Amino acid sequence: MKLSKIIDKCRLEKIVFCTECEVKTGYCGDLMSDVMAHAETNCIWITIQAHKNSIAVALIKDIKSIIFTNNVTLDKEVIKKAKEEKINLLRTNKDSFTVCGEIYCMMEVETAKD
Amino acid sequence: MSANYSKEKLTLVNELIYEIKVKEAMSKKVIFFKENVTFREIQLKLKEKKISGVPILNNVKNIIGIVSIDDVITAFDKGYVDNKITDYMSRDVITIPQNISVVSAIHKLERFGVGRLPVTESSDSKRIVGVITLSDILNRLLVVVQSIAEKVEDKEIKNTQISYDLIKRIVKKRLRFEVKGDDFDNAGRVASITKKYFQNLGISKDIIRRIAIVCYEAEMNICLHSLGGSMIIEVDNNNTVIYAHDKGPGIPDVKLALKPGFTTASEKIRALGFGAGMGLPNIKHYADKLEIKSSLETGTELKAIINLGVKNEIK
Repeated sequence: MKLSKIIDKCRLEKIVFCTECEVKTGYCGDLMSDVMAHAETNCIWITIQAHKNSIAVALIKDIKSIIFTNNVTLDKEVIKKAKEEKINLLRTNKDSFTVCGEIYCMMEVETAKD
Repeated sequence: MSANYSKEKLTLVNELIYEIKVKEAMSKKVIFFKENVTFREIQLKLKEKKISGVPILNNVKNIIGIVSIDDVITAFDKGYVDNKITDYMSRDVITIPQNISVVSAIHKLERFGVGRLPVTESSDSKRIVGVITLSDILNRLLVVVQSIAEKVEDKEIKNTQISYDLIKRIVKKRLRFEVKGDDFDNAGRVASITKKYFQNLGISKDIIRRIAIVCYEAEMNICLHSLGGSMIIEVDNNNTVIYAHDKGPGIPDVKLALKPGFTTASEKIRALGFGAGMGLPNIKHYADKLEIKSSLETGTELKAIINLGVKNEIK
């Protein structure tokens, strides 16, 4: 599923949008080591952890897009780093559970089509 | 698929048809009849099962004859299709024992121009244990070839093309990083740089991922729990060795620290998503070998080894 479709349907705020990509799977987690151990490469990551380390984790795990939930505040440094590393940053006032649910349903529909 | 080709060139398939035994390829489910049936009954069965012939067995499953589609057609032609088969069926049956290689089955099928061979328990037995056709043999061959191909593929993945020159260079030049304690902003730097460095070597993605995870967790440990330290990443023969040293305060109980979920992290660290007690367990999980020496006086020394999966040792 195209990232832009997720952004559109879930009405996500685009903080940094540098590359369109194909999203096949997602991971939700706020513990860095957990994300390190379990997130799949190229997944979309849903989290409330909005600091520079999130970008580092995304980079190491080849995660191309992060959705920050609960409208967390992002500082300039994080945005700058994301732009440098070409990682898409999206934000929403919804909580992680809701966003995951929305994306999950969209993916189910998408797979059903195939 | 004739075995005659083997005289010209011994290919993998030629080799395999000698290795595969009839019993590996045959269908164990045998459709058969006893001799008290009519040709018409057999014709219906052949049509239903889309087969070209059935063996006729007695009470102890010994073969006593065979009825093929040709026999049925002849019966229609000559007008005895509703008669019992007993007087008409061919009693001279060509069978094949189960413990012989399929190459003999191929020869027999070709020589006698038949589509299927009933398989007997052994060469001196008439008990039927299966039936074999050319397509059974072909199916089995494909399965065997597939499994050979998978093994070759696996090997290839393990021995992905690695730039030996680059590895030689990294053997000479190791990566060294200072890691400050409590410096969250720069944390993750070691892992990022190391990852990029190894990507240039053409090592398989999976191994790079593991190296990056180990580096990240070791780096975070220095940053979160120590007064600062350093990391060295080097390639030694076939291995990446990741050293992480810190200046203290040391781990009082290493065994306990390796337990998933055990943490000494402060509330502040945990709020940032660290200190879940998964760092050392993650390292242990992703490294091929892990050694930790810790003293409350001199600090902690961690050594993690990840095999690069290079076929030949680098000299």
